Amino acid sequence: MKRSSIKLTVSLILMLIVSCNDPETVVTNTVHTDGSVTRKIQMKSIESDVNKRFKTSDIQVPLSNTWTIIDSVEVNKKGDSIWIRTAVKEFRNIDELNLTYKTDSSSNRNFSREAGFKKRFKWFNTEFRFSERIDKVLSYGYPVKNFLNSEELLYFYSPESVRNEKENGPDSLKYKALSDSVKHKTDKWTGRNLVSEWIGEFSSLTKGTTDKDMSFQSLKSREDYFAAIIEKEDKHLDSLWKNGILLKEFIGEANALKFKTEADSALSVITKRLTADFKDYSVRIVMPGKLIGANGFIDSSKVLLWPVKSDYFMAEPYEMWAESKMPNAWAWIVSGVFLAFVLTGVIVRLMKKD
Amino acid sequence: MKPGSEKYNKVLNLLRESKPLLDSTDDIEREVVRQIMKINHRRITIAGVFDFLFGWVYIGWVRRCLITASGAMVLVFVFQQIVIIRRIDMLSKQIVVVDKGSLSKQDDEVERILAGYRNFGRRFPSKTARISEIQMKELLESVNELKIRYKEIDDLIEGDPELKKLIEKKLIENNRNNTNL
Repeated sequence: MKRSSIKLTVSLILMLIVSCNDPETVVTNTVHTDGSVTRKIQMKSIESDVNKRFKTSDIQVPLSNTWTIIDSVEVNKKGDSIWIRTAVKEFRNIDELNLTYKTDSSSNRNFSREAGFKKRFKWFNTEFRFSERIDKVLSYGYPVKNFLNSEELLYFYSPESVRNEKENGPDSLKYKALSDSVKHKTDKWTGRNLVSEWIGEFSSLTKGTTDKDMSFQSLKSREDYFAAIIEKEDKHLDSLWKNGILLKEFIGEANALKFKTEADSALSVITKRLTADFKDYSVRIVMPGKLIGANGFIDSSKVLLWPVKSDYFMAEPYEMWAESKMPNAWAWIVSGVFLAFVLTGVIVRLMKKD
Repeated sequence: MKPGSEKYNKVLNLLRESKPLLDSTDDIEREVVRQIMKINHRRITIAGVFDFLFGWVYIGWVRRCLITASGAMVLVFVFQQIVIIRRIDMLSKQIVVVDKGSLSKQDDEVERILAGYRNFGRRFPSKTARISEIQMKELLESVNELKIRYKEIDDLIEGDPELKKLIEKKLIENNRNNTNL
């Protein structure tokens, strides 16, 4: 995760190596009516060394030598070479696609990802649903929607290009203010997640060995107070924790001495979770028939687009889904003939009555 | 002769015991077969077909069932269409992202055509091509060079209105020639 908010995690986050080998990756899933999926991964890199470029372990999604790979190169306006690798593979069904996630060796292999496909027959139409889901990282976190309003949420989930465009567009002041507000609130959200996660982990580590005032419920009731301290002491969190001052404030001096090891272990576990390295990418979905619903964005080529960032699945699963429908021509014909038949019968009956 | 009298009973018994003399059984058989065939080959009239098809309208419960089924079908259709239209309307209000950097437009168009073909259940046959690495490199270089030159020419044309007019004129002439052919 590359987010920076609380000083305690900043130092660890800064240690993350943001390699220049990371390609800019766009995954396009073309879903077919029979449930098969053609997956195309397009990777762009500026890395000139062929041995360092497009290494499987650097790519954000599973890729193996069973894919059809096409390499090309483009020259941008500055005259730099941009190496493009396009990998394509047809998956017969969703299980086959999920198998690649189970045997994942990509850079994001530590994150649980799953695709889903549903086909529903509804007489006049057949509806299709395709989804890609990433499981949440934290066990005790809060959904971001509890901290942001609808406008801020939309901005939070927006692709980087949209944010940049808005912040440099005609309403730049408005969007810069919105950006600041989102940043401030997401910092607060991260802080609250950190506290909640620590309480959860600490409680499970000390289960059965603590008094009532140290139970999960008791600690949870003081969560607001803990979060306020963290927010207030943002700049000195590292030293305050190391000196044990923060822990004494949380659980009292006697308990702080008694459960120092558990408290440190809990913090270690959650910092590991919060700082797990996830490489961002984008997902696009092309559905069969007419699109009727989706929770993503629509790009310039009318294809659904989702940015995939670690923040999105920190405290709740991130599901990218799309639904479409295809009319069943035979059902329309059968229904039309049936209606005409019944209507004619009714007319005949009325005529004979007269 | 009154019914029940002895004489009456004698006559009746006599008639019962004396069977008719069938001297032309073949004629009788032929006549029976003819009558049967006549029934089977009765002429199909429009009125007959109409009665056969719409005979149900005179049976109350069949009529009610079919009308109810039709009504239900219309309701399902209307409901489904309303739901779909609402969902499409909601979808159209969603933000449109202009993400120029992600993929080239040409690529997207090919993708859409490909999706269109696939939606109708067709599959493109897979093909394999053998090409050496040097040839591939040369090809890529040529394509890139071509792209750069194309861009240069495009910029040149855009920057010179007279040249643009001249080229447009030539293109129109070419199109005309092609049409004539």
